[in-house]
Amino acid sequence: MRIKPATLLRHGILIAFSAAILLPLLWVLRVSLTDKLTAYKIPPEIGHLSFDNFIEVFTRFDFSLWFANSFGIALATTAISLPAATMMAYAAARYRTGGAPLLVTVLASQMLPPIVLVLPLFLLVTTMVPIGGRAAITLAHVAVNLPFMAWMMVSFFEGETKQLEEAARAEGATRWQAFRLITVPVAMPGILAAGLLGFILSWNEFLYALILSTSKSQTLSVGLASMETQAGVNIAPLAAATLLGLAPVLILLPFLQKYLIKGLSLGALK
Amino acid sequence: MQTRIEAADQRFGWMLSAPGLMLLGAVIGFPIAWALFTSLFDYTLIMPSYDNFVGLDNYVTALGDKEFGHAAWVTLTFVAAIVVVEFSIGFLVALMLNSTERGRGIYYIILLCPLLMNPVVVGLIWRMLLHPTLGIVNYLLGLVGLGPVNWLGDPTNAFITVVLVDVWHQVSFMIVLLLAGLSALPREPYEAARVEGASTLQSFWHITLPLMRPVIVVTLLIRVIFAIKTYDIIYIMTRGGPGDATDLISYFIYRRAFVGLNLGEACALAGLLLAVIVAMTAYLHRVMRKV
Repeated sequence: MRIKPATLLRHGILIAFSAAILLPLLWVLRVSLTDKLTAYKIPPEIGHLSFDNFIEVFTRFDFSLWFANSFGIALATTAISLPAATMMAYAAARYRTGGAPLLVTVLASQMLPPIVLVLPLFLLVTTMVPIGGRAAITLAHVAVNLPFMAWMMVSFFEGETKQLEEAARAEGATRWQAFRLITVPVAMPGILAAGLLGFILSWNEFLYALILSTSKSQTLSVGLASMETQAGVNIAPLAAATLLGLAPVLILLPFLQKYLIKGLSLGALK
Repeated sequence: MQTRIEAADQRFGWMLSAPGLMLLGAVIGFPIAWALFTSLFDYTLIMPSYDNFVGLDNYVTALGDKEFGHAAWVTLTFVAAIVVVEFSIGFLVALMLNSTERGRGIYYIILLCPLLMNPVVVGLIWRMLLHPTLGIVNYLLGLVGLGPVNWLGDPTNAFITVVLVDVWHQVSFMIVLLLAGLSALPREPYEAARVEGASTLQSFWHITLPLMRPVIVVTLLIRVIFAIKTYDIIYIMTRGGPGDATDLISYFIYRRAFVGLNLGEACALAGLLLAVIVAMTAYLHRVMRKV
């Protein structure tokens, strides 16, 4: 069997590209699994396998607190945003509620630079409504997630279940019943995907969490960012911590693949 | 009769939208109104009061501020650099993937990895790898007789480094969207072109590019808007430095507010940034409706 030069070139480029993405991550994995002394050695040495760094992350740093905060905030954000976004997207798709102005508003909300919103939110929690760090961050993340989810889901509801709904309405179902009992179950995979992507958005968010958190409400992003200053260039535990922070997202990735394009292209592409 | 059903439809639509709209008003509308209100006062974190109304003075100060001009310029060059590099690499890889069958799934899942990664983690990882003395990158360069490079210590290097790290993180965004566009292209024009004896390059130039135009425009617009907001990677990797070499606009506003403590002016700057983003979003929406 002969391989064409064009095919060879194509795979060459793709393999080089994949390596550029994977090798840095594999190196971080390698650093996280060696003992501290080996991690610093240049030229690198092959040390023995050790899980000390992963243990240290939990014992010397507040990692479990950061993790729990991020998880709780992301979960609360999604729980608040997803139902509201689903209903809003459905209304915009089926009943044209709000028309183009509402759609542009939602899109612009999604594009909003966090720095614009974080200033008044900071004023809000420091002067007017003294709510705790976690609640404040959750509200800020709703501002990110709600428009993202709503915009992504509008296209889910366009057309697809219309006939089923009309049949249900002819049988005497109310508009709410048609939505609740027909549309939502049919669109459920997409709704869940929007929820998971929203969860990840909140999980990864940094600026709001940085400004609005107190020492007790630090999220994973904020905690990881503080690790470097706390521990100097303590790369071995840092490597372990970054991998632990990535784990939930990388685990979710295969499930999201199908919906990623719609989420990333803001619904413009299918 | 028809109108009564329509009125009921409308009512139902607004009822469904109400929770979302109220939330948006509370977490976005109201805070933005407050920021714009604050931008009209001499409000600092040292003297936090609304006693001193200054009208548009903060905007005038901001627009005349040399540092602001510098931050805007750095942002412009940063956005231009990452979009050009990401688009070039992204389009190349998307084209390669589009004409590949074997291994396509594996390549695809690999390139998705950085995409959903926390920017803070990306910044930390690359700081680790690019450490001037302890980093693996300088060691590997040393093996082939190059370096050591002071990746983040020198103004020009730091700017390029931040661009490259952002490219590593975000290039897959371009690939995923362009690939989606490519795989939706019709096959007939290519077959016709082959019959006519067109070269691969010719069919790329005369068929692929024109057909891909709407997808390319939407992809670039979304990327540009997101690139303008870049903050996390700057905070982690350079804090806007060395000097002010990587002082992107979001980081500049952050410094004005929380280091300079001048919240009035920071709010004015945020208002200006908001105007730019809203204008670009309105344009994006017009383009998207045509895709």
